Amino acid sequence: MKSRLETQDLAALGALAPFLVLPFVAPTWLAGDFAMYFAYALLALSLAFIWGHCGLLSLGHAVYFGVGAYAMSVTTLGMIPGLASLRSTWAGLLLAIVLTGGLAFALGWFFFAARGLAGAFLGVMTLALAFIFERLAINASWLGGLNGLMNVPALTLGLNGGAEIVDPVAVYFLMLAVVVAVTAALRLVAASDFGVTLAAIRENELRVAALGHDARALKIRAFTLAGAVAGLAGALFVTQFGFASPSLIGFSLSADALIWVALGGRKTLISALLGALALRFLESRLSGALGALWPLALGLIFMASVVLFPDGLFGEAIGALERWRRRR
Amino acid sequence: MRHAAVLLLDSSNAVLVLILVSLGLAIIFGLMNVINMAHGEFLMLGAYGAMQLGRIGVPFWLALALAPMLVGAFGLVIEELLIAKTYNRLIDSILATWGLSLFLRQAIVLVFGPGSYAVAAPDVGAVQIFGGPYPVYRLLVMALSLAAIGFTFAVFFRTRFGLAARAVVANRDMAACLGVNTRRLDRITFAFGAGLAGLAGAAMAPLISVDPSAGLGYLVPAFLSILVGGLGSISGPVVGGAGVGALDSLTSAFYSPVWAQLAVFVAVLFVIRVFPSGLVATLRREA
Repeated sequence: MKSRLETQDLAALGALAPFLVLPFVAPTWLAGDFAMYFAYALLALSLAFIWGHCGLLSLGHAVYFGVGAYAMSVTTLGMIPGLASLRSTWAGLLLAIVLTGGLAFALGWFFFAARGLAGAFLGVMTLALAFIFERLAINASWLGGLNGLMNVPALTLGLNGGAEIVDPVAVYFLMLAVVVAVTAALRLVAASDFGVTLAAIRENELRVAALGHDARALKIRAFTLAGAVAGLAGALFVTQFGFASPSLIGFSLSADALIWVALGGRKTLISALLGALALRFLESRLSGALGALWPLALGLIFMASVVLFPDGLFGEAIGALERWRRRR
Repeated sequence: MRHAAVLLLDSSNAVLVLILVSLGLAIIFGLMNVINMAHGEFLMLGAYGAMQLGRIGVPFWLALALAPMLVGAFGLVIEELLIAKTYNRLIDSILATWGLSLFLRQAIVLVFGPGSYAVAAPDVGAVQIFGGPYPVYRLLVMALSLAAIGFTFAVFFRTRFGLAARAVVANRDMAACLGVNTRRLDRITFAFGAGLAGLAGAAMAPLISVDPSAGLGYLVPAFLSILVGGLGSISGPVVGGAGVGALDSLTSAFYSPVWAQLAVFVAVLFVIRVFPSGLVATLRREA
């Protein structure tokens, strides 16, 4: 049997092409902007994996993003007690991933205990989590409180610091490489035995359990993975933004991430990723012109798309492409 | 002694209002299987409604009666335009109402500005409690909440409408087969739930700062209340709301609001770990 490239992978490769040439045809500042949007795209990927693929709705996904951002800032600002001379981006990434993965694991252990929380109520608990973490960050004076942590160093590749990468195009390609790598890795995970079982849990958890799988352990593992990816996203974001504040951890970024993924399409990773990039780009273009009307328009578009295109805009496009390929 | 009495009264006030909000959320979920993320915004609309009615010269008590009706009517429109389109798609109903809450918050910002308003409480004086004054208005809010909760229970357990509604909660398809007009019931339920939130908002308007995110603070505790109390029962939110509200307001008073949120969250986490189907359902099964 001749193996065919799946439509979503084809779409991903097709979407990659313009991003490979973007810095050469567009102004440098746009490349810098997109480098930052790539960090948001990683957050969207993580949410699409846990929600679209595993069916676990996380309404407070920015919690991991924010914890990752703070972990990176605390490390590279030399604020860890006893390790004041530490400046390594690598250590920051490691701490961000370990902390967020650990947090997600601990939460999953509670959330999925016994019969576990079903879809919507998992969403409510994660939403409550986002409120709490935002309040905690605002009240944590050692994390800068409401002002957050400023002057977070840029990315460095040396073992303990070294030259900061400040060239927007270099950062752009670095971030693009990370996004491609994470997308490919999550795709592989989703297609593995582990990933297929997760999709089966999404469809019918009882049946999966009856077939002898430990659904709870699998869900906790998926939750941990998604948390770690979101933590990575936050850590990479803050090296570019240079500023970790409570707004990265709380309700509004979580709501934004949910809208990117839902509007782009939660069924495939690539549609969620494109949703994040497209909406961030549109917001930076339109919010100036539309001002306060932008969130209003976004809310309206979002409601309309939920009713008319439940698979999301890019998701519907990929679906149409899929049907067209099947007919041929 | 006086301090304790005031604390107890303030906590009861918070608990009763929380029960009122959770009750609306719970009947919408129980009957329609719709998670209404915009429930907090209905409360916020109630508060703004009472404020705006007051501004155009409507007496406070009339505004208090009109605001919930306006919010209920608004709920009826939303049910028709949005909720009815996402039936049987639980996750989509969350997303749709989430979009609605975003929309409503921003619409309020555009109309009234992002700032907060204070609504003057009607001058009903104060009573002496252990040698100190306590505002009568707070006592009236409590009485009003109690009456609304009692009214809701009466509707659901003493009327034909309530009987049909409980039949739909138990088994929607069977109720429809037996001739219950589920579509009509859905409309009324959603409007009723929205109206309860509007009433809570209008009654609380003089006690809180009326701003576009006023509802957000109620949404999470209300959800946690029905999670603790258990789904699919109307008494669940009463038990859950009492527990969540009391823990929240007492911890806020003794420590700080931040720790209160954390304490409530951890407590809820443990409760649902031990009683996955909620306190009320678990107690009932064991009884």
